[in-house]
Amino acid sequence: MKIMYVGVGEYAASKEKTIKTMALGSCVAIIVLDTKNRAVGMLHVALPESSINKKRAAERPGMFADTGIPKLLDEMKKLGYTGEKKLIVKLAGGASIMDPNNTFNIGKRNILAVKKILWRFQLGAIAEDVGGSISRTVSVDINSGKVIISSPGRGDWEL
Amino acid sequence: MISLETITERIKEKPIPSMVAFQILKVIEDENHSLKDVVQLVENDASLTSEVLRMANSAAYYRGSEVTTINRAVLLMGEMMVVGVAICASSSIVYNSPLEGYDSKTGDMWEHSLRSAIASREITKFAKKSIPPGLAFTAGLLHDIGKSVISEFLVGRTEKMTELCETHQVHDYLEAEQLTIGTDHCTIGYELAKHWSLPEALCYAIRDHHHPQHASEEYKTLTYSVHLGDLIAMIGGSGTGADSLAYTVDNAYEGYFDITKEQLNKVLLIVENDFQTIKDILMSEGKA
Repeated sequence: MKIMYVGVGEYAASKEKTIKTMALGSCVAIIVLDTKNRAVGMLHVALPESSINKKRAAERPGMFADTGIPKLLDEMKKLGYTGEKKLIVKLAGGASIMDPNNTFNIGKRNILAVKKILWRFQLGAIAEDVGGSISRTVSVDINSGKVIISSPGRGDWEL
Repeated sequence: MISLETITERIKEKPIPSMVAFQILKVIEDENHSLKDVVQLVENDASLTSEVLRMANSAAYYRGSEVTTINRAVLLMGEMMVVGVAICASSSIVYNSPLEGYDSKTGDMWEHSLRSAIASREITKFAKKSIPPGLAFTAGLLHDIGKSVISEFLVGRTEKMTELCETHQVHDYLEAEQLTIGTDHCTIGYELAKHWSLPEALCYAIRDHHHPQHASEEYKTLTYSVHLGDLIAMIGGSGTGADSLAYTVDNAYEGYFDITKEQLNKVLLIVENDFQTIKDILMSEGKA
């Protein structure tokens, strides 16, 4: 099986390959499926807002939810997505360390930011496996459209 | 249950890393040290000399002309990187073996240690009492060495341990380790650090990195740096398998650090950036 790997702050879309991203901690994977064009896409964001480092956002827009999501949608458009039939969106990741004061709860802030930006594009996730204190690896299969999550010591499951 | 003696026996089998790494570390802890001292230590060790030169001439550092002297190589790479190379090169059994008991693959331990080291160093910038960033870097690099010893005793028990965490039968993964084998990676890491005759500050930082409140006042800032650095690495997606993120922040860090959510985000970015740079170097080395 052909697999395309998406690293932190990267995004990809394909009509031929399964897309996979490894070890999401507080990062969030946005997985999109265009059923009409049989295309899949994925973005791996690390932080909510690009305003904290504009230079970095210019170099690697996929790092941030606000600059990454439009880029992912652009990639999908290149493969024929017109917006006429909505994309199927799924989310994974956004985990957190246990922190009573929430300072380190970047995962939760990432999830909120991702949802806010998706909403801006009139998109919403139909499924999510987010939060908690586990590391997740996620892939979207190009043939079946199945989104599979795995975590060390916990096996794998379908989202 | 496995006897503690069986586990501690394994400690004696772990090869001691080259002392030159710790000698360099000792030298650079002194802010007034000269570059010459570091260069001399590297030059005294033939294998480290060749490793440092190889790295300085790799694609990531290459500046158009070949680096032939250690003096220039150290200037180019920075002293901490040289320490990192020295520790890694001399203890690959610790860093480059898969931690099977944690369901963690080859390379995870090295990546997690390196990211923790970078994060521990970065976090010292926000410390109320200044400590040498190089010391925090090294403590970050070494904090999980205990896992390389206990991993084999956790094989076959990983799923049960993650279940213990998720059903809140234990407070964190450290407690799951204690419940499963009667000890944990901090305690065994401390024993290994003593076996390696590491400086006291590093031994205690390894022992207390999940419970920094137990560190003596003298080592609190260092231990909290490693505590936070470790967690930042995990938040960034780099852990050592099943125990990733299954720990709690000790919020008493606020007594030792002033850091906001925004600054934390910036630290995460720097860690990601620095790590990628170093990873590219290692990869370009592999191809060479």
